[in-house]
Amino acid sequence: MTAVALSHKFKDLNLDISLVESDQIGTVGVGEATLPHIRFFNQALGIDEATFMKSTEATFKLGIEFCDWGRKGDHYIHPFGDYGVPIDELDFHQFWLKLRKAGGTHRLSDYSYPILAAEQGRFRIPEGDVNEIGSNFGYAYQFDAGLYAKFLRAFSEANGVRRVEGRAVEVDMDGESGHISSIKLEDGHVIEADLFVDCSGFRGLLIEQELKTGYDDWSHWLPCNRAVAVPCESRGELRPFTRATARTAGWQWRIPLQHRTGNGHVYWNEFISDDEATHQLMSTLDGPALAEPKQLFFKTGRRKKFWNRNVVSIGLSAGFLEPLESTSIHLIQEGITTLIELFPRTGINPLDIDEYNARMGLNFERVRDFLLLHYVATQRDDSEMWRYFQAMELPDSLQEKLSAWNARGYVLQYEFGVFLPPSWVAVMHGQNLIPEGHDPRVDRYSLAEVEARLEQIRIDTAREVETTPTQVEFLRRHGAASGSPLVSAGKM
Amino acid sequence: MRDPMTPRSKTIIICGGGLAGSLATLSLSLSLGSGYHILQVVGADTRQDDRLYGGATGPGAYNFLLRLGLDEPTLMLQSATSFSFGTHFRQWLAGRSWMQCHHAPLPTPSGIPLRHYLTRESVGLEPLLISAQAALAGKFAHPPADPKSVLASAEYGYQFDAEEWVALLDRKIRETDVRRIDANIRSITFESDTRSIVHLETDERLEADLVVDASGLSRHVVEAAGGTFRAARSIGFSLSSAPTDALGPPCRTIDADETGWTATTHLQNARHTLRIGEAGTASDEAPAHTAALGHLEEAWVGNCVAIGHAASVIEPLTPAPMMMLQRDIERLLELIPAHADPAIERREFNRRFQDDVEHAAIFHDALMTADGGPETEYWQAARRQTQSGKLDRKLAQFSNRGLLTSFDLEPFNEEDWTIAHWGMGRRPDQYDRQVDGVSGTQSQSNLGQIRNSVQQLVTKMPPHHLYVGKLKQYLEKQNYA
Repeated sequence: MTAVALSHKFKDLNLDISLVESDQIGTVGVGEATLPHIRFFNQALGIDEATFMKSTEATFKLGIEFCDWGRKGDHYIHPFGDYGVPIDELDFHQFWLKLRKAGGTHRLSDYSYPILAAEQGRFRIPEGDVNEIGSNFGYAYQFDAGLYAKFLRAFSEANGVRRVEGRAVEVDMDGESGHISSIKLEDGHVIEADLFVDCSGFRGLLIEQELKTGYDDWSHWLPCNRAVAVPCESRGELRPFTRATARTAGWQWRIPLQHRTGNGHVYWNEFISDDEATHQLMSTLDGPALAEPKQLFFKTGRRKKFWNRNVVSIGLSAGFLEPLESTSIHLIQEGITTLIELFPRTGINPLDIDEYNARMGLNFERVRDFLLLHYVATQRDDSEMWRYFQAMELPDSLQEKLSAWNARGYVLQYEFGVFLPPSWVAVMHGQNLIPEGHDPRVDRYSLAEVEARLEQIRIDTAREVETTPTQVEFLRRHGAASGSPLVSAGKM
Repeated sequence: MRDPMTPRSKTIIICGGGLAGSLATLSLSLSLGSGYHILQVVGADTRQDDRLYGGATGPGAYNFLLRLGLDEPTLMLQSATSFSFGTHFRQWLAGRSWMQCHHAPLPTPSGIPLRHYLTRESVGLEPLLISAQAALAGKFAHPPADPKSVLASAEYGYQFDAEEWVALLDRKIRETDVRRIDANIRSITFESDTRSIVHLETDERLEADLVVDASGLSRHVVEAAGGTFRAARSIGFSLSSAPTDALGPPCRTIDADETGWTATTHLQNARHTLRIGEAGTASDEAPAHTAALGHLEEAWVGNCVAIGHAASVIEPLTPAPMMMLQRDIERLLELIPAHADPAIERREFNRRFQDDVEHAAIFHDALMTADGGPETEYWQAARRQTQSGKLDRKLAQFSNRGLLTSFDLEPFNEEDWTIAHWGMGRRPDQYDRQVDGVSGTQSQSNLGQIRNSVQQLVTKMPPHHLYVGKLKQYLEKQNYA
């Protein structure tokens, strides 16, 4: 992603970009599900959506379904969009809270177009006024990360990126500046550069192994430290959402693609063995496994400096936050966008480094708080892991958010960070945190008025969803169907 | 559907009858239902303090006032309010002059912010800004909805007389259920975080669940509740008014001199001159008053919420004082306690208040941070006030590569900052290298086109006074009055 973005963005400049990678080193496929921002990344590159989707076996994604998080047996969808529409500039959910207190029985989800469409396996691209029901949502993709990497590689090579096959075995440092001056590959090939982007994954080949940058360990907040991943045959309907199911010592993902379903179990090895975690995963697949399960090891946290000297770490070398909310690729994208904005013009400038590190640090921290929310906004205490979270002392920022929500359904406001208030509403409400009160301004409306307004919104939302095609229909119509059986066989 | 039990009515008392008090009273009255009794204790005259709001708003005022039922026709027909494309700084710190205009997001040719092209081509920003050029030419017209129009990039606020706005607001308040009491407050007893007793000089005793201190610079209510005001320095201020036959330009003008600065506000029937200088100095035209600049450590203490000048005092060099007042009120509306214990609302209010104060202050301070200013007591003190890590970061990043570092929910946006930096003569050391992908000829041509479009449009726009005159005629014909 970094090579293609830099090559595209700086294609008119005299910049020599080399992509050093080895086919012998696999990619870590934990980031197959994305956030809506990925569309802007692709659009900026001029990538045709249908071509991209066909090439990467991609499906559309309207949100994430969380199962068993609040309580066992619960499920809710965190949608890419709002609930209802604001009424006289007041948040819709405040009216819903008032109605609920008075005995209203409709789910908050019944007022969300993306949730209803996802539940019914429907999809269409939002068009028209973004403030209108049926258009006030976003969408992302679920794709085969390996195929996406290949797709981008071809794209970047067409943009002049020189791909060098090989593994770095030696790094040469400039004694005076402390910068990395070159890397030597297995075959003796030496690559010199002014700037190195370390996308080498967890090990941080340059940022950590050479520069000893250090790592902020966030395991005490997000202690899951292993994952096992396996693809399986697709079965059943092709639903436009990722699923994350809570387990006794972690959680399990399910990502439906056109040609297969991606699965994984993220867990804390303190409370479950690798074998048991693998067994739990393999015994809950939709269909036969398509490969041997692959084990991953990680430590949640972030590099102390994302950019250190002349090395910028992007992706897993920058830090790791479990992919519960599909943020892995998003954080890569943020890193790339920020690097482009701060790309060195005349050498490495400490001011650029400071700004990059400040911005990425904020991104990581705000995602961390949001992920932690899922573990602590729960009534589960049926295993050691859940009891650990029950007893946890939360970061102040998160504790304040929870208190304000529980008291009155208020979401603390920030401008920066990927998750906006509707996302916080989705998770807190979805995990059974029902606020005690609501915004007093809603009380200037009579109950009958609130009931009538909400009912109209509910009817309008349902009507919009009814006229929406199934995802499979839409993939075909959009020219995005890959020819995989699930899509071409006509299961709608 | 069952109607939940109606909870006990709550009482909110607004202490203050000036701009802050009347805006807050009307806002609360229109936003809250019948479960609230709203009382406004008009009390002491705060007209003097209201002058420190500076007589100018930013673009956010339009919607804010509209929500209160004060639409633009009312402002134009029933007060001397005029339009404002911003503030024209003249002879500011070693002779800088520029139009600090209100503007929609600046163009990003080929996806690259405009400022980087300007840096490479070493050309000025101001000729490319329709609201700046129109204001400097004394022209005004409403920005159209059509985004293709050059004028659609302009944004505007108002130049106003605070006393007139208070009168309009009070008329609106009288149409509501608000009880207005014209009496001074003798004392206030804060019995708990949820209950206060206001004792009036008329011997009346009022109980309140929430008290709003809109008492202006005296801030005696919040201080009685335990609020602590952190004063940075003091200034002297005075306002004089002179009648005029013709309306001036659609912008405030600010002229600096050795001992302070003077703001001139151009209203329909008068010209207001606000003089700011060292504390204790008097102007020729009007008596001087003194104000301590600074802010409360916490604007919500116990069950008392301070707004406006009772909470923070910023020199009215920019529309920041009005922006802060608007934010104080909006923050309060969002956080009217939902329960007996307002602890959560109080913490969030204070968190946002502190951010807003800091962010408003750094924009002001950015206009004071420059070499070459006079070495007099006023200017030395003004420069000493500038100590903020956030401002340092903003200035360093802009100077380095034209980067606009932003923080959460700042009141001043990227356009405000870009225009301010340019006006203060700050130029980035380097531009975004993506600009090199666009030839110099191409970018000069693009910039020339924008400049020409702006100039052509400005020549066709009517003078401010004619526009306002015609607008009023039209509104009167429509029976708006």
